[in-house]
Amino acid sequence: MKRKLNYVNYIVLLAASAFFIFPLVAATEFSLRANGATTHNFSNFQWAIQQDGFKTNLGVSFRLAMLTAVLVLVLMVPTMVYLHLGGARWKRLIEFICLVPLVVPVISFALGVSTAFPVFLQSTVYELSFLYVIISMPYTYRALDVGLSSIPLVTLVEASRASGASMRQTLMFVIIPTIRSAVNGAIFLAVALSLGEFTLAVILHWDTFPTWIANISQGHILAAIALSVLALVGAWLLVLVFAILPKSFRTNKTQEAAA
Amino acid sequence: MSQLVAERTGARKGAGPLAYKNGKGTFRSILPLLPFLAFVGYFLLFPLVFVVRDAFLSNDGKFTLDNFAECFKGVYGHSFYVSIRLSIISALIGAVAGSLIASAIVKTGSRARKAVAATASVLANTGGVPLAFMFMAAFGTEGLVTKSLKALGWNLYAGSFTMFSATGIILVYCFFQIPLMVLIYSPALENVKPELREANDSLGGTRISYFTRIAVPLLFPAFLSTSLLLFANSFSAYATARAMTAGTLPLMPLLIGNLVDGNVLANQEHLGHAMAVSMIGVSIIVMAIYLVVLRFSKVKS
Repeated sequence: MKRKLNYVNYIVLLAASAFFIFPLVAATEFSLRANGATTHNFSNFQWAIQQDGFKTNLGVSFRLAMLTAVLVLVLMVPTMVYLHLGGARWKRLIEFICLVPLVVPVISFALGVSTAFPVFLQSTVYELSFLYVIISMPYTYRALDVGLSSIPLVTLVEASRASGASMRQTLMFVIIPTIRSAVNGAIFLAVALSLGEFTLAVILHWDTFPTWIANISQGHILAAIALSVLALVGAWLLVLVFAILPKSFRTNKTQEAAA
Repeated sequence: MSQLVAERTGARKGAGPLAYKNGKGTFRSILPLLPFLAFVGYFLLFPLVFVVRDAFLSNDGKFTLDNFAECFKGVYGHSFYVSIRLSIISALIGAVAGSLIASAIVKTGSRARKAVAATASVLANTGGVPLAFMFMAAFGTEGLVTKSLKALGWNLYAGSFTMFSATGIILVYCFFQIPLMVLIYSPALENVKPELREANDSLGGTRISYFTRIAVPLLFPAFLSTSLLLFANSFSAYATARAMTAGTLPLMPLLIGNLVDGNVLANQEHLGHAMAVSMIGVSIIVMAIYLVVLRFSKVKS
């Protein structure tokens, strides 16, 4: 339903593009500055990457993201599948629980965690992953719910069970492959959230990649900008890999039609 | 995100032939959910109970309402005003700009729409620390945009503008608020089919009657509910503001952060908890209005 754009539309789109593109251009230009903006090279990037904190903090963030992804897979996927099979009567309750993190500001949640959790939990940085599972619940719930609603789940499970598969086999070899794009989406959301999360990490006094960037900025603002550019580009590449590419490889047209 | 709440796909889904097998009793049917409930109970409910409990405790562990009295006074009370005002303004700007963009986008082809949706979903999630530094490069005193505008004769910094003020924060928040609006509002906009306009025209309606009788009634609920989401979004945002202002602006999340870090005064943790509970309170009110708007606007689409 292509319609003609009027001049107001063009002005709006032009202004919007300018607003979103200029900061990106500016940040890129700043990140390449050297010798008091007289020349441009990659020295800020080199400086940042050579810092000890770069590797360690990026490593921490990646490990947190991986653990979060595993937890989402282990906790959310079976729960959601059950809600669509026998546990439908609990769906409203679980949905409500999953939406709670949208209502609670993360800073309030972080404060609660810092007072409530015992020392043994607060002594490892991996506590963050468990909290990231919580704050990504509204998004993972929705991604999985949409995926599961679009397939004939009951029929699939009955066929699989009738063929002699156990429930665990059914989950791993029938259900998860069928809703793979939804599972990918849920995991992607959780991973993206863990890689960029700042509030919980800072309030609970952990160093992750985002908090490290904020620390760097106090001494070397250009390096912080360079790292920000890296982080943004990295995040966008992640989106490309996770969200856009799988769709073009997908052959299951019925799933697209149902969605 | 609006669909998140709106899409109550009904508990009937999945109540197929398998349902009765597992549904022998309430207790048995909840068993498979126990891991999830235990996880949520410990990692979500437990901390929340603690925030609320501590908000009502004095430093020597007795019940008190003083923390709340304190958090409506002085700089803390002022932060309510600053935070809420900033969130309203950034939600309104986001909503208006976002709906304008969305209404231009719906007219384009499906490929362009898909590209915009993908871009918007990326930008809507571009929050946090990197965003703060990106905007400093653009709108800071030495920023590229600042300098270009100066060359064109408009000095951004002629007035009281700085990146570290509420205005600066609003400007930065637009970067994720506007895309979020585009993302959530576009589906609602696509429901207003061109046929409605044709029907209006063929029944002798005017441009004005189209807007007052069709477009606005159809779209206003979506507009309002999304604005409320934008409000909640900027109200609880912390990372960008903290990275930009280093906690100097009197915003509620920033003050809470300062109180917890203990770099204000010792023994003010309970005040921080009271502020945190107040933030949850404001957020609950906004979400309640949001749900009411959604319920009243269950227009069949």
